[in-house]
Amino acid sequence: MRSMALESLLTVSNVFKNFGDVIALDGVSLEINSGEIVGLVGSNGAGKTTLLRLMSGVYRPSKGSVTLADGNQVHNMRNTLGVVPESTGLYSRLTAWENIRYHSRLYGVSDEISWKRTLKFAESLEMEDNLSRYTRGFSRGMRQKTALLRALAHGPRVLLLDEPTAGLDITSARTVRSLVKQVRNEGGTVIYSTHQLYEAQQVCDRIIIIHNGVIKADGSPDELMSTTGCSSLEEAYVHLTQEKARMRFEDKKSDGSLGKLWNKLFKPKLPSSINLQGVDEDE
Amino acid sequence: MSNSFHRVKTIAKKEVIEFVRDWRTIVAIIIIPILMFPVLFIVFPVLLESEAAELDSRIIEIEVQGEQFPEQLIQQFNYSTTEIIFKNMTFNESLSIPGDDFDRVRNMELDAVLRLNQTGEIWYYSIIYLSTSEGSTEARSRIIESLITWEANLTEVKIVEGGLDVDSTLDPLRYDGDISKSDVATEGEQAGLILSLFIPLVLAIWTFSSAIQPSIDMTAGERERGTLEALLGLPCTRNELLMGKWLGVASITGVGVMLQIVGLLFAIGYLATSDFIGIPDLSAPAIMLIIVSIMLFAIMVVALELALAMRSHSVKEAGSILGPAIILIIFPALFTQVINLDGIESFWFSIPVINVLLALRELLLDRVIVEHVLIWSLTSLLYAALAALYAARQFKREDIVTTLS
Repeated sequence: MRSMALESLLTVSNVFKNFGDVIALDGVSLEINSGEIVGLVGSNGAGKTTLLRLMSGVYRPSKGSVTLADGNQVHNMRNTLGVVPESTGLYSRLTAWENIRYHSRLYGVSDEISWKRTLKFAESLEMEDNLSRYTRGFSRGMRQKTALLRALAHGPRVLLLDEPTAGLDITSARTVRSLVKQVRNEGGTVIYSTHQLYEAQQVCDRIIIIHNGVIKADGSPDELMSTTGCSSLEEAYVHLTQEKARMRFEDKKSDGSLGKLWNKLFKPKLPSSINLQGVDEDE
Repeated sequence: MSNSFHRVKTIAKKEVIEFVRDWRTIVAIIIIPILMFPVLFIVFPVLLESEAAELDSRIIEIEVQGEQFPEQLIQQFNYSTTEIIFKNMTFNESLSIPGDDFDRVRNMELDAVLRLNQTGEIWYYSIIYLSTSEGSTEARSRIIESLITWEANLTEVKIVEGGLDVDSTLDPLRYDGDISKSDVATEGEQAGLILSLFIPLVLAIWTFSSAIQPSIDMTAGERERGTLEALLGLPCTRNELLMGKWLGVASITGVGVMLQIVGLLFAIGYLATSDFIGIPDLSAPAIMLIIVSIMLFAIMVVALELALAMRSHSVKEAGSILGPAIILIIFPALFTQVINLDGIESFWFSIPVINVLLALRELLLDRVIVEHVLIWSLTSLLYAALAALYAARQFKREDIVTTLS
């Protein structure tokens, strides 16, 4: 782990986020320091993506604030951020470079600067030869790498990555992890959401365990193990997240009155009324 | 401001580039609009002609029933492809009751039956035929044509027998001179009248329908493909995003509509008779107002479609909403065609969709009526603003980032 004087870069203060009746985030507070890789770890529906979307300015807090060190609300300063959502969000009828250039132009960065930065990171990701190709035929790994290049091309101070290695093969995942470290080593800050504890332990300077919309722990892997008295990070995670995980909020989102009536009329039924007496499973 | 304009332009440019890279789009927005009307104007008459020729050459069997068969009538059946069978019959009931001929005509043993019966000086007739058969309908047409000529002969004979002059008795009222010369409307105005009957209709329906696909692709499509989330994290406002996408859809739709009108005018100008239509006489204010009305209509329609598509969670859902929504344009567009423009009540110019279509009709006739212009322009502006506000509200929803997948 690197040791250096860390300055606060992004502050999440007592943030609540509701979607109708569902509380996705319940009074979350944390501070992201400059030059660190922070891992957001949690199960599906824990609130990782919601927190990332709040930090990227896509969502606004129902209560509380997400501010940068200069006191500005994060949604007003989105040009300091680079975001890679879980879906990567590439346009299939554009080439990799066109995808990168499109975002850079919207960040207000000239084509020359974004091209220079793209080439620099493309080398690390072994993507130079694919920049002129349409992304339609790209593998998951290539899509993820392109999305990373796109997020880095305008020179962000903070990189927000939502499960960047999900679905990647071992080599691609390794390349992505090493790029994340490279960004950190060059002074960048990375917020890294993942399911993988092993990966978080390998990559992150600090891990935030989030469960059912609440931060359960925040510290380095060693700190998490020592505070919970567990011998491994996995044990520490299980210890901290014993409460049953809730559904994703999108799954719980309620329909309108017409939708409710429709669902009532055409609700899919389980075969509970089927008489199972005398049914031989082996038949 | 310049940054904002730059972002709107960047979004619109990317939308257009991405959209036209799909060859299906080129077919939909360029090839089909250009070719639709010319193909319709060429193929349809050719098909009609060939089908008519086929019917003409078809041997038609007609049975003529009665107690006597007037020679003058029989001579009228001068088609070489008509076979006449005579059958002596007396009738005890109405000639129109098919009786035994019901099955014969239905089974197509005959194409039609002509029944004749003279009572005193009057001839009565009926034709038994099958309206669902082209051959039988053709037989009926040939019979009627012959009967009309025969009736004219009978009338002439009666007039002569009555000691009257046939020509002045049958045609006592005549137009003097050339009808076209007595119309004080100029050729340009007449052309405007013809164009006003279909240009607004084509414009309205095609604007709405050709904006459906890009609207869905740029909103629900982005949402479904997961590209919207990355876009929403960029330092552009939701209004800039909406304006960029609006500009993209409007550009694509504008090209499609323009090409369709070009195709339509080409078809009319070159394939129909040359004097069928000319160039309408339009004053500069009329031309300017036509452009304004189309722009206001496009703002409203495209904003509304973008809003409805953005509300949808998937492309399928958006298609299910926007497809049937075209009725909202077709019905008013059809109603507008039958509204009389002379002495029209001003309130018509305040009804959404109808106001712009009526304005186009009036302007194509080069009628710039200040009161009407004020009403339709202000109400159109209001509707366009409301549609844009509604679209902006949809674009500001937080749940647009979530996808079904």
